[in-house]
Amino acid sequence: MKTIFQPFGKISKQAFIIMIVMQVMFALVFWHTTSNGLIPQPAKVAKAFFHLLSTRLLLDNILVSLALTVQAMLYSIVITLAFAYLSVIPFFKSIAQFLVKCRYLTLTGLIFIFTLLTKDGSQLKLSLLVFGIVPFFVTSFLSVILNIDKQEYELCKTLGYNNWQTLYEVIIVGKADAVFEILRQNFAISWLMITLVEGLNMSEGGIGTLLIKYNKYNDLTNVLALQLVIFLIGLLFDFLLGTTRQWLFPHTKIAIGGTK
Amino acid sequence: MTTHTKEEIILKAENVHLEYDNKTILRNINFSIKNIVRPGMEQGQVVSLIGRSGIGKTQLFKLLSGLQQPTSGHIHIQNDQPVRAGDMGVIFQNYYLFEWRTIHQSLMLAAKQNPALKGHETDAIKKSAADFELTDHLQKYPQQLSGGQRQRASIIQQLLKGSDFLLLDEPFSGLDACVLDKVVELLLQVSISDELKTLVIVSHDIATAIAISDTVFILGKEKDLPGATIKKEIDLIARDLAWQKNIKREKAFLETVEEIKNCL
Ligand SMILES: Nc1ncnc2c1ncn2[C@@H]1O[C@H](COP(=O)(O)OP(=O)(O)O)[C@@H](O)[C@H]1O
Ligand SMILES: [Mg+2]
Repeated sequence: MKTIFQPFGKISKQAFIIMIVMQVMFALVFWHTTSNGLIPQPAKVAKAFFHLLSTRLLLDNILVSLALTVQAMLYSIVITLAFAYLSVIPFFKSIAQFLVKCRYLTLTGLIFIFTLLTKDGSQLKLSLLVFGIVPFFVTSFLSVILNIDKQEYELCKTLGYNNWQTLYEVIIVGKADAVFEILRQNFAISWLMITLVEGLNMSEGGIGTLLIKYNKYNDLTNVLALQLVIFLIGLLFDFLLGTTRQWLFPHTKIAIGGTK
Repeated sequence: MTTHTKEEIILKAENVHLEYDNKTILRNINFSIKNIVRPGMEQGQVVSLIGRSGIGKTQLFKLLSGLQQPTSGHIHIQNDQPVRAGDMGVIFQNYYLFEWRTIHQSLMLAAKQNPALKGHETDAIKKSAADFELTDHLQKYPQQLSGGQRQRASIIQQLLKGSDFLLLDEPFSGLDACVLDKVVELLLQVSISDELKTLVIVSHDIATAIAISDTVFILGKEKDLPGATIKKEIDLIARDLAWQKNIKREKAFLETVEEIKNCL
């Protein structure tokens, strides 16, 4: 019992699960007892959640959002990899570093320009998302490249590799697993931005649109239920990407297993 | 003294100097390694570079391996070419291997670099894995190997590359007695596998290093001078201490160890 409050304290997996269940229950009880008329109680949200799940409406909107997110992530990772791989070449280094700084540009101010540059609503959404995601991807991947152990390069030299072969072995092959980790870590950001950009073009639907509609009618119960859906989809993707990475790159699993 | 001749120079360090921020680490390093020829056998060379901790052994190792350039001076190998990293078999102190490659893949990367193995890389890997007792570990990743296994994998990798030189930084540290005997045995085996095979062992473990060497260079500081330099060269063949099993118990060997200790 004492160890759960100790730095680096070790508890069994079972105890950890019991602890989490208790914490969740406590949070729910707290929510239940403190919420008044304005904030819906957990039972009500749960009911709305299950009702939502059974509707065609939710599924359709989720599919729209997921399709857009996945598409944006694919484009983003291709752009990111191109710039990140090239960043070891001085000419492209400055461009990659500029992309990193683009994290500080907010999307809202650029909507008009993007509207001018794109053909239709769906292109607008996609390009805004890609523009929003790429800086975060590039930031993560450049830090992976910067943190490469000098010995990885030295081993390449002892194998008689030239700089291109070294780029291929150490960064492209050697850090392929990091690509998945970056997708996983930054999926949250894409998922966060989807609700934003979907508000710009409501005609195609999506969870973001749904969320805005419920908000407009002050339907807080459904808003919270939808938030729960969004949260769970995020967790699912987190899990899927993590598992895929371990499956594709067995050595990452060993490294994690080794630290346990 | 065992019959032998010393022929052409195969590695030469000339006035090698290394500084960091105007602080001299290595000063005026001069030495050469000659091809030792013994009638009736393929006898390679085993040279030890001995010095106390922090003196600059790893720095000299990096220069010899061609991974780093000296501030001034030259290191040449055969045909008077300056040394390049690809020419040397380099085994780092922590036996680094690509963590995303299985042992077999790592060995294949090296074998592919060796024109002499063209077409039968897989056989070469199988054979050396058997010689080094790694056959059961070929499909594993480096993190799944013990220190001794990693070291052997690293040695095979650099051997498959096909260079005559094998540089080893502290190959005896962190190994238990059994594994230590095994690696000593393997290094000796490598040293007689080819006339031109040359092992350069950088170590602070005097007894183990000189037990398998033919020549010892001592890296140390000289009074009132900055940086470390080669203070002494000991020809172990002339003292009848080279190429002998169970040399460690002999009086002359123990005296030499003592002499080196006093020199550090
Ligand atoms: N990059 C560096 N910059 C400055 N000093 C260094 C650097 N690398 C090593 N040194 C110094 O060089 C000296 C020799 O180090 P090293 O060759 O690692 O010793 P060892 O003989 O134990 O292998 C040490 O005093 C160390 O502080
Ligand atoms: Mg050292």
